[in-house]
Amino acid sequence: MTRKWLRWIPAVAVPAVIAAGVLSGSLPASAGDPLPEKTPQQVLLMVAQHGEKSLSGTLEQSSEIGLPDLPTSGSGARSPETAWLELLAGPHTARIYLDGPGKARVQVMDKMAERDAVTNGNDLWFYNSKDNTAAHAQLPADAADRQEARPGTQTPAELADKLLAKLDPGTAVTVGPDTRVAGRAAYNLVLTPKSDVTLLASVAIAVDGESGLPLGVEVKARGQSGPAFSVAFTSLTLEAPDASLFNFTPPPGATVKEIPLADHKADAAALPPDARTANAAKRPTVIGTGWESVLEFPAGSITLPDQTPPQTGAPDQAAANPLQPGTADPRGTRPDAAALLEQAAVAVPGGKLVSTSLVNVLILDDGRVLAGSVPLERLQSAATQR
Amino acid sequence: MLCALAAIPILIAVAVRLSSAVPAGRGPAFLDRITQNGLFVGVTALLVSVPLFLPLTVGVVAGDTVAGEAGLGTLRYLLVAPAGRVRLLLVKYAGAVAFAITAPLVVALVGAAIGAALFPVGPVTLLSGDSIGAAEALLRLLLIAAYLAVSLMGLSAIGLFMSTLTDVPVGAMASTVVLSVVSQVLDALPQLDWLHPWLFSHYWLDFADLLRQPIAWDSFLTNLLLQGGYVAVFGALAYGRFITKDVLS
Repeated sequence: MTRKWLRWIPAVAVPAVIAAGVLSGSLPASAGDPLPEKTPQQVLLMVAQHGEKSLSGTLEQSSEIGLPDLPTSGSGARSPETAWLELLAGPHTARIYLDGPGKARVQVMDKMAERDAVTNGNDLWFYNSKDNTAAHAQLPADAADRQEARPGTQTPAELADKLLAKLDPGTAVTVGPDTRVAGRAAYNLVLTPKSDVTLLASVAIAVDGESGLPLGVEVKARGQSGPAFSVAFTSLTLEAPDASLFNFTPPPGATVKEIPLADHKADAAALPPDARTANAAKRPTVIGTGWESVLEFPAGSITLPDQTPPQTGAPDQAAANPLQPGTADPRGTRPDAAALLEQAAVAVPGGKLVSTSLVNVLILDDGRVLAGSVPLERLQSAATQR
Repeated sequence: MLCALAAIPILIAVAVRLSSAVPAGRGPAFLDRITQNGLFVGVTALLVSVPLFLPLTVGVVAGDTVAGEAGLGTLRYLLVAPAGRVRLLLVKYAGAVAFAITAPLVVALVGAAIGAALFPVGPVTLLSGDSIGAAEALLRLLLIAAYLAVSLMGLSAIGLFMSTLTDVPVGAMASTVVLSVVSQVLDALPQLDWLHPWLFSHYWLDFADLLRQPIAWDSFLTNLLLQGGYVAVFGALAYGRFITKDVLS
């Protein structure tokens, strides 16, 4: 009898060994505090001075902001119209290759498909393997060093630079316990809003302890334990990638579209990228300061799904080019996106509210649209102020 | 069974050849590329056969290993020979693995051959938009077949274990195939995403990573590790069961 039971030992031991291996692998490596202490200012300076121009790595992005899940299978899913929305929701993996200021390639890896953005010098290429389409833009001669490719998934460097520029007295900046990102020891710069009237709980930026390169950004919302939005490297090498990666020629049989950039040139120079699509007459106004600020779009500047589309619109970026969603501006949305918006909105006194854990958007009945990372009451009081 | 698998790429190729052009983005991925490049017949056929046909055939072969002998009444004669039960189990598993390696290879090669016969063959466009030569494309096709062979190792081990539980081969085959379907259904439920990395079918469709430029090896390695885990666990279970089993037939 005992001999018989002895024979079952491997059947018990193997799962036990695997479980032990998994558990020990998932425990955080407690290597003490390997990095020298630094003040927030010193870490900020490291970020500002980081000179890493060449890298190749894999980024993982995930969002948990309370938007309804988009269908990922079935017919009609992932149509170009919802592509920009789709980049905001759900997880994504992207590979990124940088070599100097003029060469960059981002590959957003989808299931059985891939979206690519390649810049090499003055050429900017987008490729979507789903429908085998490519888009090409000739950047102005001086653009190569001014602006890099800005596809949907942003690199940590871009995100962190944007956030650091916005630092104001309303924010408490601290350096938290060191973390590990992509196997590298990193400083953890934590920004906490001092204001109570905001949905944001904290923003944590992982800064590489060696090079000062931002490795990851994690945004937390109030009343939500997990991060609402995070993007971080899962693997990273600070070496120049293979130069042939940046030579892109559209594959035979692909539909190639040429995007004219001439009319964007003046706008792009004058406006920050966020406001590029909003033209001067319909510029949104900002109410309040710091974390509590509310953006107000005047009536007519944003076309709601149930209204007629504008006759004179700028070339519809979202439709022309699914890789570059531009701003989260519902203008130019197609029925697909309109249905999603309709689904996400709830009726509140005076209008409709699209609520996520990071941003609330109030669409008033008179056509004005207010958006901000603030509770609904603040949006409503801002709406009645004027 | 290999003939049935080989029929899949032939069916796809003939259907695409006879019908009008497929609009991009409809049907299984890569279907619209076939008319431009015959090598995509192999990829499309593999993609189509991953959810059902490959697990089905592997389940049948793996489920038949021990239970088939028991069902025919030949198992006890095999054990009379001084070979030992462990060796018999290992040989039986090796047979199932040999089939798991052959099956995707047959689909890929027959697909490439019929594609080359019916359609032009030229540089292959990868998911990243880069083009590679036909020879390198064939290499990638073989890599995909290898990826799927690795993917089916875990299922073969499960089938072997099921096969030691019963004397009725059909029961072992059916339960193995049902398990693979259940695993894929669970994989499709977003509410269970904590479970997904542990399902043996989770990485089956990630062979697309081999069609990127440069190749993303992460999923290959993760898949190898996961399948190794399944082989170890179910191999040990099958060992425990088969060694202690009273063989009556």
